[in-house]
Amino acid sequence: MEFSPITQFIVDQNVPAQTMALLLLLPVVATLASFFRQVVGIKAFGIYTPSIITFALLAFDPNGLKYGIAIFASVIVIGMVTRYVLRRFRLLYLPRVAITLSVISFSMLGILVIGGAYHRTGLAGVSIFPLLIMITITEKFVALQLEKGTHAALLLAAETLGISLVGYALISWPSFVLFILAYPWTVLLTIPLNVLLGKWTGLRLTEYVRFLNVLRQK
Amino acid sequence: MFELLRNSREVLGMNARNLDYVRPLNRRRSREFADNKLLAKRLLRKNGLPVPGLVARIRNHAELDTFDWDSLPGSFALKPNRGFGGEGILIVYGRRRGRTDAWVKANGSVVTVDDLKAHIRNILDGSYSLTNTPDIAFFEERLKLLKLFKPYAYKGIPDIRVIVFNKVPVMAMLRLPTRESDGKANLQQGAIGLGIDLATGTTTSAVVGKSFIIEYVPKTRLALSGIRIPYWNEILRIAVESQSVSGLGFLGADIAIDRDRGPVLLELNARPGLSIQIANLTGLKGRLDRVKGLKVKTTERGILLGKNLFGGEIEEEIEELSGKRVIGSVEKVKLIGKDGKEIVVNAKIDTGADSTSIDTDLACQLGFGDVLDYFETIERLVPEERAGAREMEERLRKEYVGKHDDLEDIAFIYSSNGISLRPKVRLSFIMDGIEVPSKVSVVDRSNLKYPVIIGRWNLKKFLIDVNKPTL
Repeated sequence: MEFSPITQFIVDQNVPAQTMALLLLLPVVATLASFFRQVVGIKAFGIYTPSIITFALLAFDPNGLKYGIAIFASVIVIGMVTRYVLRRFRLLYLPRVAITLSVISFSMLGILVIGGAYHRTGLAGVSIFPLLIMITITEKFVALQLEKGTHAALLLAAETLGISLVGYALISWPSFVLFILAYPWTVLLTIPLNVLLGKWTGLRLTEYVRFLNVLRQK
Repeated sequence: MFELLRNSREVLGMNARNLDYVRPLNRRRSREFADNKLLAKRLLRKNGLPVPGLVARIRNHAELDTFDWDSLPGSFALKPNRGFGGEGILIVYGRRRGRTDAWVKANGSVVTVDDLKAHIRNILDGSYSLTNTPDIAFFEERLKLLKLFKPYAYKGIPDIRVIVFNKVPVMAMLRLPTRESDGKANLQQGAIGLGIDLATGTTTSAVVGKSFIIEYVPKTRLALSGIRIPYWNEILRIAVESQSVSGLGFLGADIAIDRDRGPVLLELNARPGLSIQIANLTGLKGRLDRVKGLKVKTTERGILLGKNLFGGEIEEEIEELSGKRVIGSVEKVKLIGKDGKEIVVNAKIDTGADSTSIDTDLACQLGFGDVLDYFETIERLVPEERAGAREMEERLRKEYVGKHDDLEDIAFIYSSNGISLRPKVRLSFIMDGIEVPSKVSVVDRSNLKYPVIIGRWNLKKFLIDVNKPTL
């Protein structure tokens, strides 16, 4: 596939094709998250978290899935354990989140060291930013845990990971990325698509399940 | 499958709730009113609506430091001003024996002044507020549990959620706190939700958790349907009036019943949850659509509309089960006289009478004038006592019945006025859609309120509900 003239022009201005692809893919991933919320009914942690985790997973490539899921899961588990331990101290919200973040940072460092000791340097080799992104989702998680309980927070975390995985599958699919670069204007279609989603008043797929008993009535 | 899709138009989903109802109908100013409990409390009270009494409030850390803890009563509810979903509420039931600085919670655990301080600090810092912004903490009088609800509620106070739209109560649900919900009447936290028949305030179906239908209080044989909620009209009135006061076009009003004070408005909700549809096994959207665009002038009119449009399900259920129609103590009947003459009148349902009787004038209008004239000519025998009545009745019957085409029978009727001889004519009437062929006695009822009473012999196809409002 050929680059479109627009892409060619942008690349000629010394914008890396990689950067351009990522910027064009962001609207797609965001639309995916809004589709999942409005039509499917999967809530996740809003739109920012699933989008940013999608790109974090991409940044972990070539072992995106393996490392990404492992780190996501360990951040959540460590966050939960820390909250459980901190509960008896009755701390205010922000200091408590700060301590949780610290514990997770130390744990990540530990994981990197252990990985290095076993000569598995793939993880240590990646840029620090995706790692930081993963760590900072703790705040979202702790806030939700406080608000809606551990069970609901875990469910939302799983949904977030689910959406991110679908997003990851899409943007790590070479043909799709090439298609976007060949026809960059197609990204503009996300706007009318989101207008439609924003006006969509039908039941979400999950609501068909939730209200099954009501729907079965005569 | 087809049915599911068709029914899905009746159910209100999150998308439609937000886009079609909450956003256009609940303006920011009104929403602020629902989110700010102290503001709402003040305004509702000013408009004459009953709200829980305010004990004290703490607006900042300085006030917390100088707060006089001895001024607190034995039982109270501590709440965040901008809390949501029942989060951050702490309720104590009495002072710890022999201490003035410690209270006891429903589960028996002790709450000290230090515990209260920590909780209030969390509230002030906004841990429970919608947007995590600094908040105000306040103490409220604790409501007392109604005796009726005692067997159903675990520790907390049940409350009633009424959805009001366009001044019409469209759906209601009774929420019972459970062990799982830790005594809170919040469905998300595991409380039981009971659907309510809007006309009578009687519970119908029940749901626990996300969508699990139950029939009994868990681990008991206590049926959840058929609980008659007291003060029902008052509850609907408070709900509808709170809509006028708050300006929330799409409102979920939470009302609890205090043992001493009766119904009390707990909270207004600008984004009422959707589970109420599962508790009622009915879609909300269908009901909202029916109320949309109606011009409802008064609270009374709105309540009446809600009751008539969305009540009576229980009645229908009983009718289905028994095959009988449920009627009130006064019903409209259509009398069918001679030559198909029809007259509609109000009839009193009288289970103390054997037979149905109608007023003389009415009988004339129905074409029985001739037979009544004939009846005037026969002997007017009245027995002294019941003993001889039967023989006398037989004799009169033999002599006169059959002499006039319309004279079906002659009978002595025993009423509070004594014994009287009356003619009977053949007549059909239609009540609540059922045609009843009968022989009715004719008597002068001109000085009585109803021209017709329906007696036991003609009520075999009906059940009588004395609570049913008369039209």
